[in-house]
Amino acid sequence: MVISLLLGGTALLLYLGAEVFSIANLRKEKAVFGLVAKALLTLGFVVHFAALEFGGRLTHTVPYRDLSASMSLFAWMVAGSYGILRLRHREASAGPFLIPVAILFLAISLVTHPAQAPAPDPKLSGALFAFHVTLAILGYAAFTLSFVLAQIYLIQLRQIHKRKLGLLFSRLPALDVISRMHHTSIGIGVVAMTVASTLGLIWAKQNWGTYWDPKVAFTFLLIGIYVLCLLAGRFLRWSGKRVALLSLAGYVLMLFSYTIVNLFITQEHVFH
Amino acid sequence: MSHPDESPLLLVGWDFRQTPVELRERLAFSPEKIEAAILRLREEGLLSEGVIVSTCNRSEVYGVRGPAAVEGDPLLALTGFVSEFHGLPRHEIESVGYRHMGADAVRHLFRVTAGLESLALGEHQIIGQVREAFRFASSTGLTRTVLNRLFQKAIEAGKRVRNETGLNSRPISIPGVAIELAQKIYEDLAPRRFLILGAGETSSIFFDLLVARGARHIEVVNRTLEKAEALCQRAGKAYPWEQLASRIPHVDVVVSATSATEPVITREDAHRAVAQRRGQPLFFLDLGIPRNVDPKVADLDNAFLYAVDDLQEIAERNRQERQREVVPAMAILEEELQDFTAWYGSLAVVPTITALRRKFESIREAEFDRSLEKLNHLSPGDREKIRLMAQSMVRSLLRRPTEALKETDDPTRRLERAEAAQYLFDLDIDPKD
Repeated sequence: MVISLLLGGTALLLYLGAEVFSIANLRKEKAVFGLVAKALLTLGFVVHFAALEFGGRLTHTVPYRDLSASMSLFAWMVAGSYGILRLRHREASAGPFLIPVAILFLAISLVTHPAQAPAPDPKLSGALFAFHVTLAILGYAAFTLSFVLAQIYLIQLRQIHKRKLGLLFSRLPALDVISRMHHTSIGIGVVAMTVASTLGLIWAKQNWGTYWDPKVAFTFLLIGIYVLCLLAGRFLRWSGKRVALLSLAGYVLMLFSYTIVNLFITQEHVFH
Repeated sequence: MSHPDESPLLLVGWDFRQTPVELRERLAFSPEKIEAAILRLREEGLLSEGVIVSTCNRSEVYGVRGPAAVEGDPLLALTGFVSEFHGLPRHEIESVGYRHMGADAVRHLFRVTAGLESLALGEHQIIGQVREAFRFASSTGLTRTVLNRLFQKAIEAGKRVRNETGLNSRPISIPGVAIELAQKIYEDLAPRRFLILGAGETSSIFFDLLVARGARHIEVVNRTLEKAEALCQRAGKAYPWEQLASRIPHVDVVVSATSATEPVITREDAHRAVAQRRGQPLFFLDLGIPRNVDPKVADLDNAFLYAVDDLQEIAERNRQERQREVVPAMAILEEELQDFTAWYGSLAVVPTITALRRKFESIREAEFDRSLEKLNHLSPGDREKIRLMAQSMVRSLLRRPTEALKETDDPTRRLERAEAAQYLFDLDIDPKD
């Protein structure tokens, strides 16, 4: 437990360092700052994985049994998804806006870390359940990044429309780049969430004897909204602004599903 | 470095600030002229090294004073040479040029490479032009120790200013601002489609700029098709005016620069085009006066409209931002100047001779003390004789090197000898000496 906390704390410091250098790179546009930020983020990602690994060993499963562990896993997925976006689009200027998400959730996870690991629950073990939860968290992480990217898109769009062409305008990526990054993160989220939901349905049938849970309806609605985001530009001729606004609406639904639905509507998707 | 005897660095120049363009054209140096001029300056002994920087906005001769320029004002002598070389009346060029010596000449060169002396403050092409001028002079053997170090330092200083200040971060020309804006909508302009309205001077400037940026798809629409075709000779495709509205949906950026008195692109045209573009944004750059594009186009979702006034305002704002960066840029240049001055000062003859003497004396003393420890039987008188003999030997040994350091009138040669002495005897120079 202590090792897991120490590693988590180290990962948090490394993410903070990556954030500081990302901001410095955004302000000064110095390659060395960008390289240091990348190195710190990668190191933080590896150390964070080690923290999750230690935590997982205690509960003999992927660390999602309590809210703290699931938030730490979520933060790790956010950092990983950002890493994929960065590699895929060779664009680092969104870093200062995306890394704080990982920092925030890892910090909350460390603060709310329980004194004792929850006892293993045989009902909630097994590969099917583990993949279901892990992929769902990856989906949430990717949608969170798309939420931030949609806001960056709207900010840059507004700056161009309103002719507010200051430092932020010059440092943020071009609209088409943000749009592509937004698409990639939604794509990751849709695939992860669809596979997670399918696995969840199979697991539910095996364990509950039914496919039905109110959470299922909200999740498929969520996937539908994000699929619309992916296709609306090409097939419905929607502008980037409308797609970004729909993406924000999708995220609001996701938050609703994650909080209100989990707390008051479903009896099964709750953290103990 | 300000006294002539101590400041062999010279600069005479003419730039856009004081010299009219007609005169600047006559003062310009082609590469052949540069080589011929410097070779003559060296033959006549006015300069021992030289670099000529000649661009459309400036002609500058940098040099290290030669043996023939010891008497009189070397800057006036250099101005006289330039007047004679170009066949221009001396009084005509004397009054419109500038002349600097020593640290002032170094500072001026640093300001030039940093873009502080440019017509467009902070522009960075000048650093390449200075580098090219230096490379040319260096490859033809016209530079040696001093100018090699000076120009390397100047290029370094220019790069530092570019990297460490915001002097060059934002464009200040209208085409530059327009391109920056387009690149914030579409990062890579090469695969994008452009439509240019009009075939006049502004259209031609934009056409060249886009070709230079690697744009592969450029269309030109003009009322006189022949003019559009003439513009598209090297690249692009010309369309008759009647096809204007039908071409808009197929392009990503519309640059309009016609002399039409009414808007040639209406809100409806733009709306129809945007609707056909499957969510892809459309960027209108209206450079026409009066406006060529209906201002209401700006209200459309997924359409961006910038008129010439907007671009001018942004350019002006960027210019003011650049102006604010002059102070930090100057601080960097002063740092680099001090660095150069320290190197230059360390090569001066007097500190070198002082350091040489100090070095020999310290060796003599060390050896004398060590030998005397083994010669305890000697009387104090004998010891004194040996000490005087050692002193005399050192003086004799140093006589010729000291003369060699002082004898030449060629400052570069003197500095080279000082540098050689410092290297051979591993001298530690104190610039205060």
